[in-house]
Amino acid sequence: MILVFGGAYQGKLEYALATFHKTQEDVFYCADESTIEIGFNWQKPIIYGLENWVKRCLEEGAEPWELLAEYRNLLADKIFICCDVSQGVVPMEPEVRAYREMMGRTLIYLAKEAQQVHRVFCGLGQRLK
Amino acid sequence: MNIFISGGCKNGKSFHAQKLAKTMATEKGVPLYYLATMIPADDEDQARIRRHLSEREGWGFDTIEQGCNILNCLPVSPLSDDSQGPTAPKPLTLSGAPIDSNGVFLLDSVTALLSNEMFLPDGTVDLEAGKRLAGELATFAQRTGNTIFVSDYIYSDPRSFDDQDDYTEVYRRSLALLDRTLAQICGQVIEVTFGMKYLYK
Repeated sequence: MILVFGGAYQGKLEYALATFHKTQEDVFYCADESTIEIGFNWQKPIIYGLENWVKRCLEEGAEPWELLAEYRNLLADKIFICCDVSQGVVPMEPEVRAYREMMGRTLIYLAKEAQQVHRVFCGLGQRLK
Repeated sequence: MNIFISGGCKNGKSFHAQKLAKTMATEKGVPLYYLATMIPADDEDQARIRRHLSEREGWGFDTIEQGCNILNCLPVSPLSDDSQGPTAPKPLTLSGAPIDSNGVFLLDSVTALLSNEMFLPDGTVDLEAGKRLAGELATFAQRTGNTIFVSDYIYSDPRSFDDQDDYTEVYRRSLALLDRTLAQICGQVIEVTFGMKYLYK
């Protein structure tokens, strides 16, 4: 498993495609309206926009890292691309605070599981693990 | 060499940028310029400018006030002088010296520059400012060759501002375009975190 994270608009997908020699064909984008089931959709090698999936989990009352752990074997070769939302102002809205904390737990789990972790900053990568 | 520096607020970016600029100008024996990008709006801004000016005292910076149209502070090339006929007035620093494009320029900050270009004095908003400024900054880097760009990393908030107001998210997206453009063309890219430096290239 590989984890690529970074702030919004940093060029995370572009970096992952170039670094791991993938194309747009290899990408599954977690859209706002997707279901939270880890199944058929997740067959592509790159899972992009994981933050949207986490948001959906919050709406459905599921804990994302537990779902990911449940499908651990299926996800062993995936490249996850996720936004880092941990460094802003503490949000006023309780649901945004819950989302931010859920994102933290998810990324801690993925970073622990992954063999490689990359952080993207202004289009450039830093390998943390 | 052009250098791009970013990182969080109050992490020591400007101080590091000043040190680099000073060293670079001393080594090359060229003038050292500070591009002041803030257009003061109130007393708080005036106080901030006074604080910045006193912090820079003794560093040897000559200040250029250029809150927008950044390319206007560079002398026009001899080539375009010929085609224009009467020469345009030469841009000057605060001390009254003519500006030499071979000097070292410290542009602090890209963030303020974008804000001035995007949110206009008449209250209108230029949504295309980011794209235009990306081109201008790339040209500025190319024509000077020794500019240190300082920006701000504002991309780790837990929400999109799309539903808050019309312009914050456009501003973030535009600044990110400038940052990625500059990080790509600059010879060195540095993230400053609480005084510590990480060199991306």
